[in-house]
Amino acid sequence: MLPISAFDPEGFLRELQDWTPEVAEQIAAGENIHLTPAHWEILELLRAYYQRFDSSPAMRPLVKWVAQQLGPDKGRSIYLLSLFPGSPAKLGSKIAGLPKPDNCL
Amino acid sequence: MLLHTLSRSPAHSALRDCLAVLGPDDALLLLGDGVYAALAGSEAAELLAASGAALFVLDADAALAGVRERLLPGATVVDDDGFVALSERYSRQLAWY
Amino acid sequence: MTAAARKSILVVSRHAHPGSSLPRSALDTALAAAAFDQPVALLFQGEGVLQLLSEQDSRAAGVRNLRKVLDSLPLYEIETLHVDAAAAAAFGLDRDALPAGAEWLDAAGIRALLARHDHVLGF
Repeated sequence: MLPISAFDPEGFLRELQDWTPEVAEQIAAGENIHLTPAHWEILELLRAYYQRFDSSPAMRPLVKWVAQQLGPDKGRSIYLLSLFPGSPAKLGSKIAGLPKPDNCL
Repeated sequence: MLLHTLSRSPAHSALRDCLAVLGPDDALLLLGDGVYAALAGSEAAELLAASGAALFVLDADAALAGVRERLLPGATVVDDDGFVALSERYSRQLAWY
Repeated sequence: MTAAARKSILVVSRHAHPGSSLPRSALDTALAAAAFDQPVALLFQGEGVLQLLSEQDSRAAGVRNLRKVLDSLPLYEIETLHVDAAAAAAFGLDRDALPAGAEWLDAAGIRALLARHDHVLGF
């Protein structure tokens, strides 16, 4: 368990390198989300996105990125909303240990 | 048909980048340190005149910089109301700074 | 939002990263406009072409690798990056150094690009 000081006031991890799958479970529990393989598939894509583009995606690019990587069935807002209710880009980034997306309008 | 505004001195890359695209259908308003580009006899002023663009200089900034009496003859001095009128005439603006 | 309300926006980015924060502002503006479903294009002019160098190692400086962020633009429906060809040549950059799909423009091409957008924003 990471101490609360490891997170910013909105609950985003301050240091990317502090992230582990256990930390993801800890953040998800705080958001009342139980991580399933379907969640992990998206979390891994989010981390790959960050590696490649040095930023966290907003909603639209996230949908497009998931569609490119996993096909059109999963590259849909409704599917991502079912896993990460409310704001999939923001919530997914938070659990994946990434910074808050800049353009979450 | 663009209204360009330039607010950097002629030594800055803003002038060069602006000149690269400035056309005879355009207007250029000099403000801030940009007013030095209209100094009569200067290299910058010659390049601006050659562009064919309509040239305007903001009165207060030209006075502050001490160039008001040394402006390129083709330049028109405008006050704030003149600036507003230019903005109305040209619906699209591009700021160089 | 209706199609009639869509306005084409050209963002002109002409400062070097990371010495100036303007490139980051230019990019944020483009991404925000794209998020509102407005057609956006980007032009890298003058020193701005230096933002496109792919070997930026920005970790130590704590800033983003801007080229990596720029590579995500197609996912925001911003498909084409326009490059000031004269500036790129002046900095010794050839096509291999810059993004593969970039459109290289001479002065006349840049004027045409400025002319065909509803709004132009300089950074």
